[in-house]
Amino acid sequence: MTLLSRRSLLAASGAALTAPLAMPALGQGNWPNRPIQLIVPWGAGGGTDATARIVGSLLERDLGQPVNVVNRTGGSGVVGHSAISTAAPDGYTIGMITVEITMMHWQGLTQLNPESYTPLALMNSDPPGVQVASNSPYADIKALADAIKARPAGTFKASGTGQGGIWHLALVGWLQAMGLKGDHVRWVPSNGAAPAMQELAAGGVDIVTCSVPEARAMIDAGRAKSLAIMAPARNPMFAQVPTLNETLGINYSVGAWRGIAAPKGLPAPIAQRYGTALKAAYENPQFKEFMTSRGFGTVWQDAAGFASFMAEGDRAMGEAMRGAGLARG
Amino acid sequence: MRMNDALLGALLLGFAGWVWWLTTFFPSFPGQDYGPNLFPRILAAGIGFCALVLLLRGLRQRAPLLVVEGWMAQPRRVVSFLLIPLASLAYILVSDPLGFIPTAFLLLLGLFLWFQARPVVALPVAAGMTLLVHWFFAGLMRVPLPRGVLDSVL
Amino acid sequence: MDPLIEAFGLVFDPFVLAVIGLSAIFGMFVGAMPGLTATMATALLVPVTFFMPPVPALGAIVTATTMAIFAGDIPGAMLRMPGTPASAAYADESYAMTQKGQLNLCMGVNLVFSVGGGLIGVAVLIAFAPLLAEVAINFSSYEYFWLACLGLTCAVFMSNADPVKGFLSLFFGLLLATVGIDPAAGFPRFTFDDVNLMGGVNFIATMIGMFAVSELMRGAVTFDLATKAVPQAVGSLFRGLGEVTRRYWLNFLRGSAIGTAIGALPGAGADIAAWISYAVAKRFSKQPEKFGTGEVEGIVDATSANNSALGSAWIPALVFGIPGDSITAIVIGVLYMKGMNPGPTVFQENPQLIYAVFLIFILANLIMFPLGWAAIKSARQILRVPRNLLLPVILLFCLVGSFAMTNSLYGVVLMLAMGVLGWVMEEHGIPIAPLILGLVLGEMLEQTFVQSMIKADGAFLEFFSRPIAGSLGVFTLLIWLVMLARGFRRAPAAAPA
Repeated sequence: MTLLSRRSLLAASGAALTAPLAMPALGQGNWPNRPIQLIVPWGAGGGTDATARIVGSLLERDLGQPVNVVNRTGGSGVVGHSAISTAAPDGYTIGMITVEITMMHWQGLTQLNPESYTPLALMNSDPPGVQVASNSPYADIKALADAIKARPAGTFKASGTGQGGIWHLALVGWLQAMGLKGDHVRWVPSNGAAPAMQELAAGGVDIVTCSVPEARAMIDAGRAKSLAIMAPARNPMFAQVPTLNETLGINYSVGAWRGIAAPKGLPAPIAQRYGTALKAAYENPQFKEFMTSRGFGTVWQDAAGFASFMAEGDRAMGEAMRGAGLARG
Repeated sequence: MRMNDALLGALLLGFAGWVWWLTTFFPSFPGQDYGPNLFPRILAAGIGFCALVLLLRGLRQRAPLLVVEGWMAQPRRVVSFLLIPLASLAYILVSDPLGFIPTAFLLLLGLFLWFQARPVVALPVAAGMTLLVHWFFAGLMRVPLPRGVLDSVL
Repeated sequence: MDPLIEAFGLVFDPFVLAVIGLSAIFGMFVGAMPGLTATMATALLVPVTFFMPPVPALGAIVTATTMAIFAGDIPGAMLRMPGTPASAAYADESYAMTQKGQLNLCMGVNLVFSVGGGLIGVAVLIAFAPLLAEVAINFSSYEYFWLACLGLTCAVFMSNADPVKGFLSLFFGLLLATVGIDPAAGFPRFTFDDVNLMGGVNFIATMIGMFAVSELMRGAVTFDLATKAVPQAVGSLFRGLGEVTRRYWLNFLRGSAIGTAIGALPGAGADIAAWISYAVAKRFSKQPEKFGTGEVEGIVDATSANNSALGSAWIPALVFGIPGDSITAIVIGVLYMKGMNPGPTVFQENPQLIYAVFLIFILANLIMFPLGWAAIKSARQILRVPRNLLLPVILLFCLVGSFAMTNSLYGVVLMLAMGVLGWVMEEHGIPIAPLILGLVLGEMLEQTFVQSMIKADGAFLEFFSRPIAGSLGVFTLLIWLVMLARGFRRAPAAAPA
């Protein structure tokens, strides 16, 4: 540990040494003049990684410098989010932050919160679906909801991510909206959506609340079916799946979002340049086409909109997590 | 360098106790007996048991507390031995501020020379390997090797 | 057009063939270099393949990983440093063969049985993908819990060392696996408020430290002594192979079968396959006492197993989008990226692309033969490179390799710490292999235990409530009972190592 702190001291002194070198470059307005790092807190090949890579490739064309996607994984996203916020705010390190930034600090995992960043743009949001095994006796969400209400607490088991993760909160929020307690359905923590879907297909759990794109392979394989999504409107890629509102009259929606942010203190001219580049990337048909083909939802918020979106999300998450007894400290 | 089983056992017993003590700070999981501290405790107990066996066995054997091989008395060999971890440590400490290329070059050159390679060979090999590794990983594979002082040049 | 013919057209395209050729060389290099691994090769290929059409993109990954898993055997035999985790199980054995002057035979066996095992894995993938996936999909946390227990049991067979020290190593590995955010409550354990430790102990950086760095430390002490002259019959790699094949063809089939089965199970991969098949070989050998002294038998099993696991790991990945190992976890992302969404429908929607992947698998295993031969021949020059140049260069690759695993210096810090620990363990006769196995299986063991307990509302009998889980559970407990009984009978005779 002394080793690490010594290292960070040295790194800090190194940054202090190089910072004056970087400043004149900014003044000259020739940013960017070297490759940019785009940090992703999740693993290579996953949904966040794929979104970051397509955004990165479009930014690269716009800014004229390579944009390298760097995966910093582990700790339920803490490692990568921390790497983004502690990088030098010189415009050469940005990152894709995800909904976890509004959740982890309530759980007491980190001090980081939306305030730790310079928000640049919100690009994507995916609502959770309610998935059951294809041989499940519940043909629609109504039948499932009635069964959950009728049985004693703990009869049903659900999975989708770790304890206190976004899909856990999705379940909790849905149960609360139905007037039940957050733990009426027992949560079985899993290491992500894919193992949870396997558990569902193997008959280990009754419900998986993860996004429909994550459940897609199992649905296509005829092993699972999606009963509803917790969103204001249907997903055009999965148009046959109804929303909670139209079936149960519950207006509850939540989502796993992804956006681009920089370390706090990014100079305003660079932030503005990123704003226009990201807007162009978002409007690029290539981005739209890629996101649609994977079933990912696209949403746009500019820097200011993203900031207030996160602030609102952070507040709502805090409330939901305290309500569910998932908040700590 | 080899510690007597009794000494090793005692050290490990202490370690197991420390691990157990750390687990007492873990919160319990409401409504369940198997919280975050269950597995670490089982493992600490396992390590503690093995350590106890070692300790008792070591006491019976009455072997010397510490056996040191011959090379440990030869300073040159000891330095060679320590250079491997020390070089890694140096890389950890300086690669960020200095950058990959100078760090790797100096590291290779220093080790080559200490291990008695001729300078005529050591210099070009160190430079060549450094550039090759940098080209392959930073250029081709996009590994974010630190840029350090060469930041503006690269 | 017939999809198979179309697939041939897709594969035998100059660009695709060039990509395959380059990835083959890349894979050989990455696999043969201690510190660089097959999983890393795949992760490093993601940005490169991002802009390629599907066939060359997947071809690059298939070819590079196939080569890397074999090439990991080379430095294991020559330097006692496994090039990839999948070769770690029998690196000591291979090195012992080299010291007996049987490097040629060892490398020949590794090459031939790697190709053979690889082809069997691919054949199973082609023939039974949907069928096998059907079985694997029925595994829930109960089944996985028992599988993890069975896997850990193998630690007992893995080394000849003192059982107390073997268990010590295993417990320590399992303890290392608990560092980070716990699977039950999401609480950070043993992190000392350090962000990096929240991510847990990276298994690859640990492996690089334990095997390569500690070996470098040992090597540095004796750097100036004449390189331990390894008597080399400079001749054919394939002499004596006929004899080995005649004697151990059953081992080859058994290794390939175990490898294929383990590969097809979500979550386990080539590394675990090699360890388990080596342990099985030792358990059922007529001369288990010879294991570890440079005996070819266990190598036949394990080298076939890790290559066959590679192909079968694609089964759950293709059919259900569930990764068979850390490599296919990345592959699934690439499949999605290329619009080949995993699922049984992929066989109907894009049969030509799937056939093309199969063809590349076969092709990769076939070109492994000449290319592997060339790699062995040129790697043999390594033994002649003065160690004063070789040691620092390998250290540099270890540094860069562990850095690339976490994209931060944390990987390097971990490598260093584990290198020193590995050296200390070796000095005290504590085997390293059980620690690695514990670290690999630890998370699965705890996660599935917690999941099962929650599902069962705390009733342990539920672990036997499903047919497969029940059989696996009873089987595991029986093995433990037998071992315990034997251990007690032999206890008086067991002398400390």
